[in-house]
Amino acid sequence: MSPFETFDHTADIGLRVTAANLSSLFEDAGRGFYSLIIDNIDAIQLRDERSFSLSSGSLEMLYLNWLNELLFCFETELLVLTDFEIHLSDHHLTGTARGEVLDIRRHQTHFNVKAITYHQLQVSRTHQGWLAEVILDI
Amino acid sequence: MIKNRFNGPLEQISTHCWRIPRDYKPNMRVEGLIYASEKLIEQIRNDQAPEQVANVACIPGIQKASLAMPDIHWGYGFCIGGVCATDPDKNGIISPGGVGYDINCGVRLIRSNLTYSEVQPQIRKLVSQLFRYIPTGIGRKGNYPLSDETLIEVLLQGPRYFVNQMGLGCPHDIEFTEAEGRLKHAQPDKVSTRARARGTHQCGTLGSGNHFLEVQVVDHIEDAHAASVLGLREKQICILIHSGSRGLGHQVCTDYLDQFQGLPQKYGIQLPDRQLSCAPALSPEGCDYIGAMRAAANYAWANRHLLMVQARQVFEDLFRKSWEDLDLHLVYDVAHNIAKLEHHHVDGKGTSLWVHRKGATRAFPAHHPEVPSAYQEIGQPVIIPGSMGTASWLLVGQSGSMDHTFGSTCHGAGRQMSRSKAMRDAISRTGGRKKQMGQLISRELEKQGVIALARSAKELAEEHPHAYKDVDQVVDVVDQAGLSKKVARLRPLGVIKG
Repeated sequence: MSPFETFDHTADIGLRVTAANLSSLFEDAGRGFYSLIIDNIDAIQLRDERSFSLSSGSLEMLYLNWLNELLFCFETELLVLTDFEIHLSDHHLTGTARGEVLDIRRHQTHFNVKAITYHQLQVSRTHQGWLAEVILDI
Repeated sequence: MIKNRFNGPLEQISTHCWRIPRDYKPNMRVEGLIYASEKLIEQIRNDQAPEQVANVACIPGIQKASLAMPDIHWGYGFCIGGVCATDPDKNGIISPGGVGYDINCGVRLIRSNLTYSEVQPQIRKLVSQLFRYIPTGIGRKGNYPLSDETLIEVLLQGPRYFVNQMGLGCPHDIEFTEAEGRLKHAQPDKVSTRARARGTHQCGTLGSGNHFLEVQVVDHIEDAHAASVLGLREKQICILIHSGSRGLGHQVCTDYLDQFQGLPQKYGIQLPDRQLSCAPALSPEGCDYIGAMRAAANYAWANRHLLMVQARQVFEDLFRKSWEDLDLHLVYDVAHNIAKLEHHHVDGKGTSLWVHRKGATRAFPAHHPEVPSAYQEIGQPVIIPGSMGTASWLLVGQSGSMDHTFGSTCHGAGRQMSRSKAMRDAISRTGGRKKQMGQLISRELEKQGVIALARSAKELAEEHPHAYKDVDQVVDVVDQAGLSKKVARLRPLGVIKG
């Protein structure tokens, strides 16, 4: 079963991610985010690497800000990242991610994500681990 | 039972107005009023938009009512299609959520002296060239990259920068844009580095989703006199452009939603939904957002101006005449996601209010000082785009809008179906032939007389007319409610999307 899936919203799109632990949750969220933009993310080659370090006041805000970082990366560098290694400690995230710059000849684009919203934002524990939901403005 | 259906009170108080009473929920300072028809109100009940109207009624300084237009649907905090006005002198707030992520998303209509019979034989070529030349969709950078220094000028001046410094366009383009394409007192220094980084390569790009550029034909005139003043006649070719402030505006909203998180608590504001995050308009934080929002709005007008310039270039190449000789002049440009400080009357007294329009259009009547002098007699044009493949409407503002809705009217058809449902619907209509979906939808639209080009088949499916409310019904409501008056209907011949 995929660690992420989309869910309906009238005008936009929801992203739901489940994982056994928080690091995996954030890694799968990254992959889920880019899977909305690129249909064939398995075609992304691992040519470039970026490092990340961010802190927030709460887990939900950290999750939101993490996706905002990825959105900024994509919007300014057209970088599509699909291989993540994330560490979390006390609402502080560090890690690296690998991918490549968008090539419209090889990569099939889909949603143009404009913003990560607070609408229905949640990051919560479940029996199996963790669940995160967020609505993205497209 | 429909999930998310609104089961609260909606009392019909007139043919086209339903009320959510003030006692529906605690802390409502005013009532909610939704403009609709009997048919549309049933669709409106299918999501939580009416609940959001009731929530907005709780914000400090709100005047008269929390208002909603007939195209409302569920949004973030504020519904799409909502209008509210707050009095800054009564602790009235300003809210980024009441404007929306796409600050100054809006529409502009350009006329021409070309007729249907001149353009139709070349429509496929015209649409292909527009699609090739105008940057649309993901990953396409604009044809006018801006240095940070130039971007700051654009944030201050809007499209005037391109007219005056680069000779792109003409003074007429400025005169016939809402607010003459520039909100004064914009503050580029309140726009983050991150937002500016997103804006440097996107000025003059269409975007994607429900943004589009259409070649249209005027197929019905409702008000011959107003149409004549606006330079419109039947069978005339026009261009409609729907786009906004792109990544820069989205980032401004994101930045200020983040900064506004703790402010309700700081200012003792209780809110039923945290997405109504706001601050007193006169607070330092409120002023900072206003300065940034104005800058983003100016960028959006510059964006639509450059899209128009590029469209003119394509027409010039194909028809081998200058755009001036083709009379490709701007009819008008309106914003439908914005907050503006405007003069209105409350309880018989004139006052300055922050009017938030999120998916709603300004609709000033005849003789209003902000209406261009050429249109003083008829009122401000209001451009209502339909969905891809359906009609758009041109209206003019009426005095009823000033009496009832702070000079506002609807903005478009409004979605009634999520993208996933639209996709499933499209797949089922094509007999499950997913791979041929793009071709089949294109052929479907072509049978309706529309050549549509998009970056992906999925885009066509998700933006199919079935996913939207019936724009004719929406426009009928605002016309009959006296908010704005129908002038002409325009039918698409070709559309390009991201």
